[in-house]
Amino acid sequence: MLPLLMAVYAAADESALIARLQRRDPQALAELYDRYGKLAYSLVLRVVRDNAIAEDLVQETFLRVWNRVHSVDPDKGSVGPWLLAIARNRAIDYLRSSAGRERRAVEFDEIDHAPLYREMEAEILVSDQARRVKVAMDKLAPNYRAVMELAYFEGLSQTEMAAKMGQPLGTIKTWVRTALQSLRDDLGVAVS
Amino acid sequence: MERPEMNCQELREHYELYALGIAEERERGEIRAHLDRGCEVCMAGVKRSLEMTAYIGAAAPPAQPSPKLRRRILASVGRQERHPLGWTFALAAALLVLAVYFAINSRQSAREAAGLRDQIRLQTSEVARLTEAFAILSGSRTTEVSFGGAQPRPPQGKVFLNPNRGVLLIASNLPRTPVDKIYEMWIIPKGAKPVAAGLFQSQDDGSAMHVQPGMVDLASTAAVAVTVENQAGSDQPTTTPLIVAALKSATP
Repeated sequence: MLPLLMAVYAAADESALIARLQRRDPQALAELYDRYGKLAYSLVLRVVRDNAIAEDLVQETFLRVWNRVHSVDPDKGSVGPWLLAIARNRAIDYLRSSAGRERRAVEFDEIDHAPLYREMEAEILVSDQARRVKVAMDKLAPNYRAVMELAYFEGLSQTEMAAKMGQPLGTIKTWVRTALQSLRDDLGVAVS
Repeated sequence: MERPEMNCQELREHYELYALGIAEERERGEIRAHLDRGCEVCMAGVKRSLEMTAYIGAAAPPAQPSPKLRRRILASVGRQERHPLGWTFALAAALLVLAVYFAINSRQSAREAAGLRDQIRLQTSEVARLTEAFAILSGSRTTEVSFGGAQPRPPQGKVFLNPNRGVLLIASNLPRTPVDKIYEMWIIPKGAKPVAAGLFQSQDDGSAMHVQPGMVDLASTAAVAVTVENQAGSDQPTTTPLIVAALKSATP
């Protein structure tokens, strides 16, 4: 009963936070930072490996949320996953441009649209989800974990991973598929 | 020849790749097309994948941003925050400055404190003396005696005697005493030896006020006199009186 009550409370809290962000309440941004700032920074730092750049990108991330939060439905939106997606995309974008690589064929912007993050778990359960994903990642075999990290933290396509790891593309695709399947199984996620 | 469009079943294994941003161009285009036309199956699948992949970032080693980052972000939306420990730092700095100040000035402060205590003690004593003087002056049974009128530049003044309150001497034109000397007042009874009635010094302008509280038998008192004596005072006058206020001229 308690987890359910906490979930209801957290969902209401998240909705209220989104509503306050939409009313341009700076204190709401402060609270959002207190919830996700450290996680976003850790993620971005893992990608760019530079403290100052990571802080710049995290600042950009929170400003992007601040400026686009009007597109979130306070009753159904989930700001946490959306914010982390923006943070990751800003970081990978930076990584690619600083490495002189062309922006990848995959347009990252299309997966940080707020409407895609409707009706996700509320903040308190999100923390639990983050912990579960971390545990599942830690359980992956080194090669599977490597491809997941190359994909997530470096934004490499499977073709780029194959080149980087010196493996056939087919092998990389198998590893990626197997790693995702393993994560899905551990997290109890159905594909369809 | 164009390849046929992919259906949701074919796309399902690409949702996570799409969510990770690493789907191949064809599959990415197909999924986007499904989403654009409101395909509920693909929308649900992509959401689930985003939910799962969004938190892969939690696998990153935990790192702590600098406290400045929070202030920077809030400042960029127009909110200025004080340093979280600003008041503490300010208070600590102020206390440090005070501590240094007091350490440097501790001796001086101690001296000043001692000086203030002496000053308060003197002022308290002066208030008590003035209170006694006022009581004598305002007493209904006070007798007033003038002195010094006949000398060329004599000490001049008055003596007030109250039988219950004591004797008040107010004088002017008193010469400065030598360094080791002091004025001593005497109450001279009729037919008896002078009785010492307190020591005093004159002010720089030659004025003086001296109070000797206590009971005085006016009927047996012949005069009030002042002599110059050693600093410790004397049991009996050792010099010629500078002031003699004889009670024969007293005005009851």
